[in-house]
Amino acid sequence: MSKHDMTRRDFIRRALRAGLATCALSGVDGLLGEQAAAAASGPTIAVASRKGPAELVGAAVEAMGGIGKFVKRGARVLIKPNIAWARKPEQAATTNPEVVVEIVRLCKQAGAREVKVTDHSVDGPEALLLRMTGIGPAAQGAGARVSLASSPALYERVNLRGAKVLKSVEALRDLRRADVFINVPIAKVHSATGVTLGCKNLMGTVLDRGAWHRSNLDQCIADYAKELRPNLVVLDATRVLLTNGPKGPGRTEAKGIVVAGTDPLAVDAYGATLLGRQAQQVGHLTRAHDMGVGEIDLERVKVKHV
Amino acid sequence: MSRRLRGLRRVSQLFFLAAFVLLFALAAFPLRSPIPVDIFLRGDPLIALSAMVSLRKLIVPLVWYALPVLVLSLFLGRVFCGWICPMGTMIDICERLFRVKGRRPSQAPRWRTAKFYVLIALVVTMLVPAAHRSAAELGLTQTVGLSAVYAMDPIALLTRTFTLAGLPAAQWAVQMTRDTVTSWSYTPVVEEHPTLDRALIPVQTGLSLVARDGPVHFRLSLLAFATFVAVVALGRYARRFWCRNLCPLGALLGLAGKASPVRLAVSAKCTGCMRCVNECKMGAISEDPHQYSGPECIGCYSCIAVCPEKAISVTIGHLDTDRTDELQLDRRRLLSAAGAGLAAVVLPKVGWGAMRTQATEKVLKVSSARLIRPPGALAEEEFVTACVRCGECMKVCQMNALQPAFGEGGLEALGTPIIVPRMGPCIQPCDLCGAVCPTRALEPFTMEEKSHLYLGTASIDRSSCIAWAADRQCLVCDEACSYDAISQKEVEGIPRPVVHEDICVGCGICEWVCPVEPLGAIRVYSSGDRRHWTRAEQRELRQRAEDERQPESDGQLLYPGL
Repeated sequence: MSKHDMTRRDFIRRALRAGLATCALSGVDGLLGEQAAAAASGPTIAVASRKGPAELVGAAVEAMGGIGKFVKRGARVLIKPNIAWARKPEQAATTNPEVVVEIVRLCKQAGAREVKVTDHSVDGPEALLLRMTGIGPAAQGAGARVSLASSPALYERVNLRGAKVLKSVEALRDLRRADVFINVPIAKVHSATGVTLGCKNLMGTVLDRGAWHRSNLDQCIADYAKELRPNLVVLDATRVLLTNGPKGPGRTEAKGIVVAGTDPLAVDAYGATLLGRQAQQVGHLTRAHDMGVGEIDLERVKVKHV
Repeated sequence: MSRRLRGLRRVSQLFFLAAFVLLFALAAFPLRSPIPVDIFLRGDPLIALSAMVSLRKLIVPLVWYALPVLVLSLFLGRVFCGWICPMGTMIDICERLFRVKGRRPSQAPRWRTAKFYVLIALVVTMLVPAAHRSAAELGLTQTVGLSAVYAMDPIALLTRTFTLAGLPAAQWAVQMTRDTVTSWSYTPVVEEHPTLDRALIPVQTGLSLVARDGPVHFRLSLLAFATFVAVVALGRYARRFWCRNLCPLGALLGLAGKASPVRLAVSAKCTGCMRCVNECKMGAISEDPHQYSGPECIGCYSCIAVCPEKAISVTIGHLDTDRTDELQLDRRRLLSAAGAGLAAVVLPKVGWGAMRTQATEKVLKVSSARLIRPPGALAEEEFVTACVRCGECMKVCQMNALQPAFGEGGLEALGTPIIVPRMGPCIQPCDLCGAVCPTRALEPFTMEEKSHLYLGTASIDRSSCIAWAADRQCLVCDEACSYDAISQKEVEGIPRPVVHEDICVGCGICEWVCPVEPLGAIRVYSSGDRRHWTRAEQRELRQRAEDERQPESDGQLLYPGL
């Protein structure tokens, strides 16, 4: 029996293995769920400010140990920015294309075999969305394969162990296939979930989002975040959307900040403060915390300002 | 020279068919084409005539394209039919493909004049005052017709077939292939062999370029396809049966060409072998090969090519050749045709579907709770007569939102475009349908104007909305709304969606994304349709609504169950 026979249910094991490998290589805690979160030292995040978008990404990733720590030569990388809406970059409803491009560039530089950029959008057709958000042509130019995952053929059913509500989900096949998964959300307020940061951004890797709304949205986000652990989260707060999120049009603010980290909740907790919220007030973050996904108490998070 | 004409004609036919297909394909986002993608429709004199006569107004963009075709016919007769018309070419191709060996289609000129009666009936539908432009403008000068040209115009018919039947089929085939190739790239074999994987990439990319990202579905696609098949299949009875007997465009161009100076001349070398008579796909040559009917000849010049004696040639101005330009119309049939035209106007108008509600402005049809027109659409009375049901707008619609109306709007609106939000929304950053409408039934609009082109109004069915009825954490409609027309209202500690009725333009994105299956708990109805207002008035309304936001007027369901 070849190892490829165990496809679906090994989704999680693979993700964990990737996390373990990263941890072993870096010595950074934060990818092993409960134990890591409970670690006395607490997770580390990097917060870069006062630079151009590309430099912010570079500085934040460097502070987390450099891209080489996450992306090995020959690795397959999957990048998940927010390309949910047909909005222009300055409307701050989608990830800043400059941030995406810089990550693609770094991955390529680190010798990645394949860099894919994808999202399951809510709005509009692929060609228009990729063009309007600016992410399509820019990321392609940097050498990534960019596509929006609307076809059901791109998904496979994955069972989520330890989930409270979302027992199984149709998730992107590329999540299993990729060696490295980098989550690149943008910080926005959100009508239903208060804020949308890294954990909420993962919702764009599943086929049927409606089911989450029909059951219990906060818990579904937490369930999914527990199982799908990005190797790296790069939160785009170069521009944030402060009202009428997630799509806008609303009030935007140029924050000029990029946050990077490996503990998804630590990054989100910091991101929430940029939107004037506390992670403890955000349902899906507290639920994820209760499930041991990561740390939301910023007192216990080591923040490296660069 | 004359003998090479047939070859030239075939090249021309294939060229124009290819152009037709290419322009059809180019009617997509991003709209990049050096010439209008709807040029075949714009250049169709019958469509131009229909739109202008039935609307009683001059539509300049139509004149520019239709006039050259008419002038061409004045000089060369029905060469459009023989050399350009993509429907004619399709008929010729299908005849070749499905020809039964040894079976000779009839050359009997029995139905010949029918097309003129069809034309007359159609002109009557354009002329008869079918409705007043609006309730406020009574009086004969303010009437519009109810053109039925859409039913018989060959270019509209072919475009419609391509859109409603061809596009979904092609899209389905490409997507099936793409999805299959995609699934290969996740097989163990491919994952272990990067070369195989790399080989699949260009295939996937290529297929993605051709296909849209979502499947395309249309209502009435079977009807459109069946109509096309019928037109082509009639060729079994006589070659170019449609063109010689039924096509009103052919009739119109034949009439225009009655005085054409370009003629066929048969010299004394003719032995009467009858090869030209049998070859003529229009059956335009009489038993006596010296005589042919002018309005029937489509200038295909096959007669010249088959003549063993080289007796036939194209000449100019020889009035003594034996061309007959008489139509021989029967007065009684003429009256019947006019009567049929009248019936084609009256029947839809007396149908219950065309009945208006009792509202003061009387713009809403009783049948049309769900008659949501695309942005830029003329007021309903003008729209139904201007629209030729070509389907260009439905083709170009990126979201597959535009669908042919079936019951909505009554018989008079059959096949006209409506937004069916559950199939797709009218997304904000898009102005394509207004850009491709040949008759300006959809007037061009800008993306900025879409915030105040009121198509309808969304309303929430609180009994099925999961935020209202089941306290779920769902504001997807609010999330997706492009115009900030939905906001949340906290009731019993839980945020619930409410609609700002004067800000909502009825784009339907809320209905599209609503996770309540299968209908959606928020639905768009035609109540807010303000096409009968000027754009300035609509802009003012939007401005006012923006200034005095009333989140309490929150869109209760108007028509439960629809």
